[in-house]
Amino acid sequence: MRASITLGIVGAGGHGIVAMGSLLQRIAASQGYFSRMPRYYTAQIRGGGSAVRLNLDARRLSLPGDVLDLLVCFSWEKYLEFETELTLGADTVVVYEGEPPAWVVLPDNSFKIGFSRISQDETGSDRNMNLVALGLLSRMLSLDRERMGQVIEEDTALQLLKDNIFALDDGANIFPQLSFPDMALEPARDESPKAVIHGNNAMARAALRAGCRAYFGYPITPSAEVMQDMLEGLFYEKGVFVQAEDEIAAVAMAIGASFVGVKSLTATSGPGFDLMTESIGLASAAEIPLVVIDVQRCGPSTGIPSKSEQADLDHAIYGGHGDAPRVVLAPYDIDGCYRLVVEGFNIAEGFQTPVILLSDQWLGQTFVAMDNSFFNSDYNVVERKKPGTDDADGYLRYRMTEDFISPMAAAGDKGFTYRTTGLTHNQRGVPAFDYETHQSLHEKRWKKLAPLRKRNDLARVFGKGKSKKGLITWGSSAPFVLEAVEELGLKSELKVCVPELLHPLPDRVVKFVQSLDSLLVVEMNYSGQLHRHLRAQADLPQDTRAYCRVGGRPFSRTELADVIREVAG
Amino acid sequence: MTKGGEYRTAVKPIWCSGCGNFGTLTALTKRVLPGLGLPRHQTLIVSGIGCSSRMPAYVDTYGFNSIHGRAVPIAQGAKLARPELTVIVVGGDGDFFSIGAGHLPHVVRRNVDITCIMVNNFIYALTKGQISPTTPNVRRGEGAFLSHEYYPPVNPLLDMVSYSASTRASFIAQGIATDVTHLESLIQQGIEHKGFSFIAVLTPCVTYNPQWLFEIIREEAFYLRDAEPVSLPDSSAERPWLHDPSDISLAFKLAQFPLLEKPLLGVFFRGKTEAANQFEDME
Repeated sequence: MRASITLGIVGAGGHGIVAMGSLLQRIAASQGYFSRMPRYYTAQIRGGGSAVRLNLDARRLSLPGDVLDLLVCFSWEKYLEFETELTLGADTVVVYEGEPPAWVVLPDNSFKIGFSRISQDETGSDRNMNLVALGLLSRMLSLDRERMGQVIEEDTALQLLKDNIFALDDGANIFPQLSFPDMALEPARDESPKAVIHGNNAMARAALRAGCRAYFGYPITPSAEVMQDMLEGLFYEKGVFVQAEDEIAAVAMAIGASFVGVKSLTATSGPGFDLMTESIGLASAAEIPLVVIDVQRCGPSTGIPSKSEQADLDHAIYGGHGDAPRVVLAPYDIDGCYRLVVEGFNIAEGFQTPVILLSDQWLGQTFVAMDNSFFNSDYNVVERKKPGTDDADGYLRYRMTEDFISPMAAAGDKGFTYRTTGLTHNQRGVPAFDYETHQSLHEKRWKKLAPLRKRNDLARVFGKGKSKKGLITWGSSAPFVLEAVEELGLKSELKVCVPELLHPLPDRVVKFVQSLDSLLVVEMNYSGQLHRHLRAQADLPQDTRAYCRVGGRPFSRTELADVIREVAG
Repeated sequence: MTKGGEYRTAVKPIWCSGCGNFGTLTALTKRVLPGLGLPRHQTLIVSGIGCSSRMPAYVDTYGFNSIHGRAVPIAQGAKLARPELTVIVVGGDGDFFSIGAGHLPHVVRRNVDITCIMVNNFIYALTKGQISPTTPNVRRGEGAFLSHEYYPPVNPLLDMVSYSASTRASFIAQGIATDVTHLESLIQQGIEHKGFSFIAVLTPCVTYNPQWLFEIIREEAFYLRDAEPVSLPDSSAERPWLHDPSDISLAFKLAQFPLLEKPLLGVFFRGKTEAANQFEDME
């Protein structure tokens, strides 16, 4: 019996690869197993390749292993396209359809199985071969057949299985004489069912929780699920949803809706985020709350749309002309996706500023089976400062206050009409052209964000405080780094800091680097964007290294182990 | 009724003395807003960048002088979020028909109930006289626009009205800044029309238009009146018809008249209106 397993499924589009992976993940989740399932696909909608990697864990939410324990292959031709994602080892068990090409070296435990023939014989169509294979997998992993039956009955998402349950049972009876004792999973430590979600889903739900009632977006990979989930959510909330003509319109509409007092969201990915740059400057200049989610993908330009990278940090913090302050948040796990979107709305409303949330393809689209109690936790929800009776006599929209945040009326509020503008303006909002007004307006917009530096809760620190060696990482790289440090048994020698608030940078991060003799910065982009940002914010130790490389493939345990060992000395 | 003066702020316009924009400002603040009894706090004026886009600062309602080309989407976001507001967009030919042109067919498609006042002064004036998509190509000796000798405009110019007709905007009208009474009636009808309204305003730029431009426009201008015969340009092979703004096919014909040959003033088309909030429609 094993505590966890990493398996891969690969085939052509139309083989039902993602469906099969999702079904297995849901069945396992219903029995209490944690899991993560990244999807891989080529740009072709039909006929392209498709693969998933699924790691099931009976004890905790872990990351997939570098090498597969088990591979289901429906097409060797398609396997080639995902070879780097689906690495075989000597001990990998392979079940496959069709004759492998001569150059594929199959591990010892490889079994050729006529999935499509069995499907054809039993269901009259070869289209159910994924269900036949699923049946075999459930036997190999020792998933409880009786509980599977119950779940399939109850879960509407498993309707596909209900109609073809015999295909599943046929699969379970393939080669009855063979047993796979190494593959069997121990029962989940906590058998309470886990929820299957992804970061994009969590972010949309969090926006609704924060009181967002207007969404404006343009479809782009890999953020489209945020838009889909907002559509469903806003339908029930009777909110506003518009699929805009482009990202420029989407962000402009969000600014318009926010200006009149409705919390608004737009989500996009790199190329769309570029198009929003000018409008983000407007929201910063006119102090209009705005939340923008950027689910990062490989860039620059079109890059690799379906794969993850962390290369939009420079743009998020510094993008645009002029000195336009904004807030940049980056979650590193699913519950962070939820918590930080609520936080992002609170900061946007509380500080009247644009807030950019940097997610990425890995966080956004990897299906995760986990405990979702964070959905039901208590979250503080902040509303913007409104003018009161003090302001009734000659309302100044941009009144200089002690905290540099001025009460903001919304169109419709009686007695507070004002005009806003992206032009430099005085306290009343009237365009101004003099140096003094310009200087004081910049001070107002920058200084109002200063309290965020005290948000030490938005910089996580793991490990021993006294340690002189440390790592800083961010976003979806963080779980890989944390797991690697733990697996190497270096938790007492190395401490790890994961800033969730990247701009303005919390004091805690500065203190963290000041406490170190050796620092390693790990991130997934070519030029070391966080590393450079940190250098601009703090004096880094003389012994500072950066491990940065492009995206397109998650960090492997072995690559991180090498660099982490080096800094540990 | 509120007094006209109450809709003007104390801010002094940046416009040149004699600028056509004063006509539109007067129509809005002295006649339309008080005439319709629109409460100042329930009214929002959104603009982009350009001479005419300075308008919000001068009108005491809620206002948003935003960035170049994006007034139309900002106004849509505001209107959809707060349908009870009266939302007016003001902008120029560069703002709406060059940098922001991509937004127009989509606001028409969605038929969001906002009123767009397109101030057409045939030129980029704020940047000092460059050609715009509506600048007519002129022959030498006629008082050429700045730099036309080296960079002539491309004919045919982009006609705002024919563009709106081709995308089937639900209310299409054209006025002239020098006839405030007529303009005021068009803007009022546009605001009252439930759905997207497009009103082009032929607006003289006293600094960069050649003298002859508005001389021609004023000489040839023809006022469209319901059920009265339409005056055709000399080049037209059509037979005259009685004006009927409910007929889109007639609006298409009108839109094909070359602007400088027969500038038409009035309501070209008034279509059926549809609600814009998609979620309420479904129930």
